[in-house]
Amino acid sequence: MARLEDIPQPTRDAVLAVPCPRFDSQPFVVGPPLAQRRVAIVSSAALIQRGDKPFPFGSAECRFLPASVPAADILISHVSINFDRTGFQRDLNVVYPIDRLRELAAEGVIGGVAETHFTVMGSTDPAGMTEAADQIAGQLRQERIDAVLLSPV
Amino acid sequence: MLEDRGIPSVALGSVRAQMEKTRPPRGLWTSAQLGRPVGEPEDKAFQRRVVLAALQLLDRTDGPVILEDFPEDPPGLKDTLGWQSPTLPGVTVMPATSHAWAASFAAELALLTPLWRQAQARFGRTTVGLSFQPPEAWPAFAARFLAGELPGVVGHDTPALALRFLCDDVKALYGEAGQAEGAAPSSHQVDTWFWRQTVAGALLIALREAALSSENSALKTVGGRFFVPVPWLP
Repeated sequence: MARLEDIPQPTRDAVLAVPCPRFDSQPFVVGPPLAQRRVAIVSSAALIQRGDKPFPFGSAECRFLPASVPAADILISHVSINFDRTGFQRDLNVVYPIDRLRELAAEGVIGGVAETHFTVMGSTDPAGMTEAADQIAGQLRQERIDAVLLSPV
Repeated sequence: MLEDRGIPSVALGSVRAQMEKTRPPRGLWTSAQLGRPVGEPEDKAFQRRVVLAALQLLDRTDGPVILEDFPEDPPGLKDTLGWQSPTLPGVTVMPATSHAWAASFAAELALLTPLWRQAQARFGRTTVGLSFQPPEAWPAFAARFLAGELPGVVGHDTPALALRFLCDDVKALYGEAGQAEGAAPSSHQVDTWFWRQTVAGALLIALREAALSSENSALKTVGGRFFVPVPWLP
Protein backbone atom coordinates (compact mmCIF):
# COMPACT_ATOMS: atom_id res chain seq x y z
CA MET A 1 0.00 0.00 0.00
CA ALA A 2 2.96 2.27 -0.55
CA ARG A 3 2.38 2.98 -4.19
CA LEU A 4 3.92 6.16 -5.49
CA GLU A 5 0.81 8.12 -4.65
CA ASP A 6 1.10 6.94 -1.03
CA ILE A 7 4.58 8.40 -0.55
CA PRO A 8 4.19 11.80 1.15
CA GLN A 9 5.40 14.90 -0.56
CA PRO A 10 8.09 16.14 -0.94
CA THR A 11 9.63 12.68 -0.58
CA ARG A 12 7.67 11.48 -3.62
CA ASP A 13 9.19 14.16 -5.86
CA ALA A 14 12.63 13.47 -4.42
CA VAL A 15 12.27 9.76 -5.13
CA LEU A 16 11.22 10.42 -8.70
CA ALA A 17 14.06 12.89 -9.19
CA VAL A 18 16.74 10.40 -8.16
CA PRO A 19 18.99 9.97 -11.19
CA CYS A 20 18.79 6.35 -12.29
CA PRO A 21 21.82 4.78 -13.93
CA ARG A 22 21.54 3.54 -17.48
CA PHE A 23 23.76 0.71 -18.60
CA ASP A 24 25.26 0.18 -22.05
CA SER A 25 24.84 -3.55 -21.98
CA GLN A 26 21.96 -5.76 -20.93
CA PRO A 27 23.60 -8.93 -19.67
CA PHE A 28 21.28 -11.76 -18.71
CA VAL A 29 22.96 -14.70 -17.03
CA VAL A 30 21.07 -17.95 -16.63
CA GLY A 31 21.85 -20.72 -14.20
CA PRO A 32 20.70 -24.01 -12.75
CA PRO A 33 17.16 -24.58 -11.43
CA LEU A 34 16.29 -22.61 -8.30
CA ALA A 35 16.43 -25.72 -6.14
CA GLN A 36 20.13 -26.00 -6.93
CA ARG A 37 21.09 -22.37 -6.48
CA ARG A 38 22.93 -20.89 -3.55
CA VAL A 39 21.60 -17.42 -2.81
CA ALA A 40 23.22 -14.27 -1.39
CA ILE A 41 21.60 -10.99 -0.39
CA VAL A 42 22.89 -7.59 -1.44
CA SER A 43 21.18 -4.89 0.62
CA SER A 44 21.43 -1.18 -0.14
CA ALA A 45 20.46 -0.26 3.43
CA ALA A 46 24.06 0.44 4.49
CA LEU A 47 23.78 -2.27 7.10
CA ILE A 48 26.57 -2.44 9.64
CA GLN A 49 27.57 -4.73 12.43
CA ARG A 50 27.09 -3.22 15.88
CA GLY A 51 30.21 -1.32 16.84
CA ASP A 52 31.32 -0.69 13.27
CA LYS A 53 31.53 2.82 11.90
CA PRO A 54 28.41 3.84 9.97
CA PHE A 55 28.76 4.18 6.21
CA PRO A 56 30.04 7.67 5.33
CA PHE A 57 27.80 9.87 3.22
CA GLY A 58 28.33 9.10 -0.45
CA SER A 59 30.32 5.98 0.29
CA ALA A 60 30.98 3.72 -2.69
CA GLU A 61 32.27 0.87 -0.54
CA CYS A 62 30.68 -2.50 0.04
CA ARG A 63 30.82 -4.34 3.32
CA PHE A 64 30.67 -8.06 3.79
CA LEU A 65 28.02 -9.29 6.19
CA PRO A 66 28.68 -12.86 7.33
CA ALA A 67 25.49 -14.88 7.65
CA SER A 68 26.61 -15.76 11.17
CA VAL A 69 26.15 -12.19 12.43
CA PRO A 70 23.16 -12.32 14.80
CA ALA A 71 20.15 -10.14 14.11
CA ALA A 72 20.78 -8.26 17.34
CA ASP A 73 24.04 -6.92 15.92
CA ILE A 74 22.78 -5.60 12.57
CA LEU A 75 21.97 -1.89 12.30
CA ILE A 76 20.93 0.43 9.46
CA SER A 77 23.28 3.34 8.77
CA HIS A 78 21.72 4.59 5.53
CA VAL A 79 21.98 8.34 5.07
CA SER A 80 18.32 8.88 4.17
CA ILE A 81 15.82 9.70 6.89
CA ASN A 82 12.92 9.44 4.47
CA PHE A 83 12.13 5.76 4.75
CA ASP A 84 10.50 3.79 7.52
CA ARG A 85 12.66 2.12 10.13
CA THR A 86 9.93 0.96 12.52
CA GLY A 87 9.41 -2.22 10.52
CA PHE A 88 13.12 -3.05 10.73
CA GLN A 89 12.99 -2.36 14.45
CA ARG A 90 10.49 -5.20 14.85
CA ASP A 91 11.93 -7.59 12.31
CA LEU A 92 15.12 -7.27 10.28
CA ASN A 93 13.71 -9.56 7.59
CA VAL A 94 11.72 -6.66 6.11
CA VAL A 95 15.08 -5.37 4.86
CA TYR A 96 17.42 -8.35 5.07
CA PRO A 97 15.35 -11.52 4.58
CA ILE A 98 17.98 -13.91 5.87
CA ASP A 99 15.53 -16.02 7.87
CA ARG A 100 13.24 -16.45 4.87
CA LEU A 101 16.20 -17.66 2.78
CA ARG A 102 17.17 -20.14 5.49
CA GLU A 103 13.64 -21.51 5.57
CA LEU A 104 13.53 -21.87 1.78
CA ALA A 105 16.86 -23.68 1.89
CA ALA A 106 15.67 -26.01 4.65
CA GLU A 107 12.63 -26.89 2.54
CA GLY A 108 14.78 -27.52 -0.52
CA VAL A 109 13.16 -24.71 -2.50
CA ILE A 110 16.60 -23.18 -2.99
CA GLY A 111 19.90 -24.98 -2.93
CA GLY A 112 21.43 -23.05 -0.06
CA VAL A 113 22.24 -19.73 1.54
CA ALA A 114 25.53 -17.92 1.14
CA GLU A 115 27.93 -17.67 4.03
CA THR A 116 28.53 -14.03 3.16
CA HIS A 117 26.05 -11.31 2.25
CA PHE A 118 26.76 -7.75 1.21
CA THR A 119 25.62 -4.22 1.85
CA VAL A 120 26.14 -0.85 0.20
CA MET A 121 24.90 2.71 0.59
CA GLY A 122 21.91 2.85 -1.69
CA SER A 123 22.03 6.60 -2.22
CA THR A 124 25.44 6.43 -3.89
CA ASP A 125 25.66 6.61 -7.67
CA PRO A 126 26.40 3.05 -8.86
CA ALA A 127 28.73 4.48 -11.49
CA GLY A 128 31.32 4.87 -8.76
CA MET A 129 30.86 1.39 -7.38
CA THR A 130 32.84 -0.65 -9.88
CA GLU A 131 35.38 -1.68 -7.27
CA ALA A 132 32.64 -2.69 -4.86
CA ALA A 133 30.95 -4.77 -7.57
CA ASP A 134 34.27 -6.48 -8.29
CA GLN A 135 34.73 -7.29 -4.61
CA ILE A 136 31.23 -8.68 -4.28
CA ALA A 137 31.51 -10.73 -7.45
CA GLY A 138 34.87 -12.10 -6.32
CA GLN A 139 33.47 -13.29 -3.03
CA LEU A 140 30.38 -14.74 -4.72
CA ARG A 141 32.56 -16.77 -7.08
CA GLN A 142 34.71 -17.95 -4.20
CA GLU A 143 31.60 -19.22 -2.40
CA ARG A 144 30.14 -20.62 -5.64
CA ILE A 145 27.01 -18.46 -5.34
CA ASP A 146 24.81 -18.43 -8.40
CA ALA A 147 21.92 -16.18 -7.36
CA VAL A 148 21.77 -12.75 -5.80
CA LEU A 149 18.70 -11.13 -4.27
CA LEU A 150 19.04 -7.34 -4.39
CA SER A 151 17.07 -5.73 -1.58
CA PRO A 152 16.72 -1.92 -1.62
CA VAL A 153 15.22 0.39 1.01
CA MET B 1 26.64 -4.71 -12.43
CA LEU B 2 26.77 -8.22 -10.95
CA GLU B 3 25.23 -9.73 -14.06
CA ASP B 4 28.06 -8.11 -16.04
CA ARG B 5 30.38 -10.15 -13.86
CA GLY B 6 28.55 -13.40 -14.56
CA ILE B 7 26.31 -13.55 -11.48
CA PRO B 8 22.54 -14.02 -11.99
CA SER B 9 20.51 -11.54 -9.96
CA VAL B 10 17.00 -10.44 -9.18
CA ALA B 11 16.08 -7.07 -7.70
CA LEU B 12 13.23 -6.17 -5.42
CA GLY B 13 11.95 -2.65 -5.95
CA SER B 14 9.53 -0.32 -4.21
CA VAL B 15 9.45 2.44 -6.84
CA ARG B 16 8.31 1.11 -10.17
CA ALA B 17 9.33 4.23 -12.09
CA GLN B 18 12.93 3.68 -10.99
CA MET B 19 12.85 0.03 -12.04
CA GLU B 20 11.54 1.00 -15.46
CA LYS B 21 14.51 3.33 -15.86
CA THR B 22 17.24 1.06 -14.53
CA ARG B 23 15.88 -2.04 -16.29
CA PRO B 24 17.47 -4.77 -14.13
CA PRO B 25 17.72 -8.22 -15.71
CA ARG B 26 15.00 -9.44 -13.36
CA GLY B 27 12.93 -7.17 -11.15
CA LEU B 28 9.97 -7.67 -8.85
CA TRP B 29 8.10 -4.51 -7.96
CA THR B 30 6.16 -4.59 -4.74
CA SER B 31 3.93 -1.90 -3.28
CA ALA B 32 5.79 -2.23 0.00
CA GLN B 33 6.40 0.89 2.02
CA LEU B 34 9.81 2.49 1.58
CA GLY B 35 12.04 0.86 4.17
CA ARG B 36 10.14 -2.45 4.09
CA PRO B 37 11.01 -3.93 0.70
CA VAL B 38 10.18 -7.47 1.78
CA GLY B 39 6.88 -6.59 3.43
CA GLU B 40 5.50 -6.36 6.91
CA PRO B 41 7.38 -7.17 10.11
CA GLU B 42 6.58 -10.55 11.64
CA ASP B 43 4.46 -11.54 8.65
CA LYS B 44 6.60 -14.49 7.66
CA ALA B 45 4.12 -15.82 5.14
CA PHE B 46 3.96 -12.54 3.24
CA GLN B 47 7.73 -12.11 3.32
CA ARG B 48 8.16 -15.64 2.04
CA ARG B 49 5.81 -15.03 -0.87
CA VAL B 50 7.75 -11.90 -1.85
CA VAL B 51 11.15 -13.58 -1.63
CA LEU B 52 9.97 -16.67 -3.46
CA ALA B 53 8.27 -14.67 -6.23
CA ALA B 54 11.51 -12.79 -6.74
CA LEU B 55 13.72 -15.87 -6.74
CA GLN B 56 11.44 -17.71 -9.14
CA LEU B 57 12.25 -15.07 -11.75
CA LEU B 58 15.72 -16.63 -11.83
CA ASP B 59 14.23 -19.67 -13.55
CA ARG B 60 12.90 -17.52 -16.38
CA THR B 61 14.88 -17.30 -19.59
CA ASP B 62 12.89 -14.64 -21.45
CA GLY B 63 15.27 -11.77 -20.67
CA PRO B 64 17.21 -9.56 -21.01
CA VAL B 65 14.75 -7.52 -18.94
CA ILE B 66 11.98 -9.06 -16.85
CA LEU B 67 9.89 -6.76 -14.69
CA GLU B 68 6.98 -8.25 -12.80
CA ASP B 69 4.54 -6.78 -10.29
CA PHE B 70 3.92 -8.58 -7.02
CA PRO B 71 0.14 -8.97 -6.91
CA GLU B 72 -0.48 -8.38 -3.21
CA ASP B 73 -0.49 -5.17 -1.20
CA PRO B 74 0.93 -5.37 2.33
CA PRO B 75 -1.04 -3.44 4.98
CA GLY B 76 1.78 -0.91 5.05
CA LEU B 77 0.51 2.53 5.89
CA LYS B 78 -2.80 1.52 7.43
CA ASP B 79 -3.14 2.77 11.01
CA THR B 80 -3.69 0.18 13.71
CA LEU B 81 -6.92 0.67 15.60
CA GLY B 82 -6.40 0.50 19.32
CA TRP B 83 -2.69 1.27 19.29
CA GLN B 84 -1.87 3.70 22.05
CA SER B 85 1.30 5.72 22.25
CA PRO B 86 3.25 5.61 25.51
CA THR B 87 1.88 7.99 28.10
CA LEU B 88 4.26 10.90 28.54
CA PRO B 89 3.80 14.48 29.70
CA GLY B 90 5.08 15.74 26.31
CA VAL B 91 6.10 19.33 25.78
CA THR B 92 4.11 21.41 28.22
CA VAL B 93 6.36 24.46 28.04
CA MET B 94 9.04 24.80 25.37
CA PRO B 95 12.39 24.74 27.23
CA ALA B 96 14.10 28.11 27.16
CA THR B 97 17.70 27.07 27.76
CA SER B 98 19.97 24.22 26.76
CA HIS B 99 19.99 23.04 30.37
CA ALA B 100 16.20 23.02 30.44
CA TRP B 101 16.12 20.98 27.22
CA ALA B 102 18.54 18.48 28.74
CA ALA B 103 16.45 18.18 31.89
CA SER B 104 13.17 17.71 29.99
CA PHE B 105 14.69 15.15 27.64
CA ALA B 106 16.35 13.25 30.48
CA ALA B 107 13.06 13.11 32.37
CA GLU B 108 11.23 11.79 29.31
CA LEU B 109 13.94 9.22 28.63
CA ALA B 110 13.69 8.00 32.20
CA LEU B 111 9.96 7.47 31.78
CA LEU B 112 10.41 5.69 28.48
CA THR B 113 13.37 3.47 29.33
CA PRO B 114 11.30 0.69 30.97
CA LEU B 115 9.23 0.39 27.79
CA TRP B 116 12.38 0.35 25.70
CA ARG B 117 13.74 -2.51 27.82
CA GLN B 118 10.42 -4.28 27.39
CA ALA B 119 10.68 -3.85 23.61
CA GLN B 120 14.18 -5.33 23.64
CA ALA B 121 12.89 -8.35 25.47
CA ARG B 122 9.98 -8.65 23.04
CA PHE B 123 11.97 -8.32 19.82
CA GLY B 124 15.23 -9.81 21.09
CA ARG B 125 17.28 -6.86 20.02
CA THR B 126 17.60 -3.11 19.74
CA THR B 127 18.56 -1.05 16.72
CA VAL B 128 20.00 1.66 18.97
CA GLY B 129 23.77 1.78 18.64
CA LEU B 130 24.87 4.17 15.93
CA SER B 131 25.77 7.05 18.25
CA PHE B 132 28.33 5.12 20.30
CA GLN B 133 26.82 6.74 23.40
CA PRO B 134 24.48 5.28 26.04
CA PRO B 135 21.08 6.98 26.40
CA GLU B 136 22.11 8.49 29.72
CA ALA B 137 24.66 10.60 27.88
CA TRP B 138 22.28 11.86 25.18
CA PRO B 139 20.62 14.81 26.96
CA ALA B 140 23.84 16.54 28.00
CA PHE B 141 25.46 15.87 24.63
CA ALA B 142 22.53 17.34 22.71
CA ALA B 143 22.38 20.33 25.03
CA ARG B 144 25.96 21.24 24.24
CA PHE B 145 25.02 21.72 20.59
CA LEU B 146 22.10 23.91 21.60
CA ALA B 147 24.59 25.97 23.59
CA GLY B 148 26.72 26.44 20.50
CA GLU B 149 29.44 23.91 21.28
CA LEU B 150 30.71 21.26 18.87
CA PRO B 151 31.44 18.18 20.98
CA GLY B 152 32.75 15.05 19.35
CA VAL B 153 32.49 11.34 19.99
CA VAL B 154 35.15 8.72 19.46
CA GLY B 155 34.17 6.73 16.38
CA HIS B 156 32.59 9.58 14.45
CA ASP B 157 34.75 11.80 12.25
CA THR B 158 32.97 15.08 13.00
CA PRO B 159 30.66 16.56 15.62
CA ALA B 160 28.03 16.87 12.87
CA LEU B 161 28.06 13.11 12.28
CA ALA B 162 28.09 12.40 16.01
CA LEU B 163 24.91 14.43 16.37
CA ARG B 164 23.31 12.98 13.24
CA PHE B 165 23.70 9.44 14.53
CA LEU B 166 22.55 10.52 17.98
CA CYS B 167 19.33 11.66 16.29
CA ASP B 168 19.04 8.24 14.64
CA ASP B 169 19.47 6.53 18.00
CA VAL B 170 16.87 8.76 19.66
CA LYS B 171 14.34 7.92 16.93
CA ALA B 172 15.19 4.22 17.22
CA LEU B 173 14.74 4.14 20.98
CA TYR B 174 11.40 5.90 20.79
CA GLY B 175 10.26 3.77 17.85
CA GLU B 176 11.05 0.61 19.77
CA ALA B 177 9.51 1.83 23.01
CA GLY B 178 6.36 2.81 21.11
CA GLN B 179 6.09 -0.77 19.86
CA ALA B 180 6.77 -2.47 23.17
CA GLU B 181 3.18 -3.56 23.60
CA GLY B 182 0.26 -4.64 21.47
CA ALA B 183 -0.11 -4.87 17.71
CA ALA B 184 2.28 -3.10 15.36
CA PRO B 185 1.37 0.55 14.83
CA SER B 186 1.78 2.08 11.38
CA SER B 187 4.94 4.09 10.87
CA HIS B 188 2.72 7.16 10.56
CA GLN B 189 1.29 6.57 14.01
CA VAL B 190 4.78 6.29 15.50
CA ASP B 191 5.99 9.34 13.60
CA THR B 192 2.99 11.45 14.62
CA TRP B 193 3.55 10.57 18.24
CA PHE B 194 7.29 11.16 18.10
CA TRP B 195 7.35 14.40 16.15
CA ARG B 196 4.26 16.05 17.59
CA GLN B 197 3.92 14.76 21.13
CA THR B 198 7.36 14.12 22.62
CA VAL B 199 10.12 16.26 24.03
CA ALA B 200 12.57 14.26 21.94
CA GLY B 201 10.82 15.19 18.69
CA ALA B 202 10.77 18.85 19.68
CA LEU B 203 14.42 18.60 20.69
CA LEU B 204 15.47 17.23 17.30
CA ILE B 205 13.62 20.10 15.63
CA ALA B 206 15.43 22.54 17.95
CA LEU B 207 18.75 20.88 17.13
CA ARG B 208 18.00 21.31 13.44
CA GLU B 209 17.39 25.01 13.98
CA ALA B 210 20.62 25.30 15.95
CA ALA B 211 22.52 23.48 13.21
CA LEU B 212 21.11 25.72 10.51
CA SER B 213 22.31 28.80 12.36
CA SER B 214 25.73 27.29 13.11
CA GLU B 215 28.86 28.62 11.46
CA ASN B 216 30.07 25.04 11.10
CA SER B 217 29.23 24.19 7.50
CA ALA B 218 29.17 20.43 8.08
CA LEU B 219 26.71 20.79 10.94
CA LYS B 220 24.61 23.18 8.91
CA THR B 221 24.37 20.74 6.01
CA VAL B 222 23.88 17.60 8.06
CA GLY B 223 21.43 19.22 10.45
CA GLY B 224 19.38 20.76 7.68
CA ARG B 225 18.97 17.52 5.77
CA PHE B 226 19.30 14.60 8.14
CA PHE B 227 17.78 15.39 11.53
CA VAL B 228 14.09 15.92 10.72
CA PRO B 229 12.20 14.49 7.73
CA VAL B 230 10.67 17.28 5.69
CA PRO B 231 7.06 16.15 6.24
CA TRP B 232 7.58 16.69 9.99
CA LEU B 233 9.12 20.13 9.89
CA PRO B 234 6.97 22.57 11.86
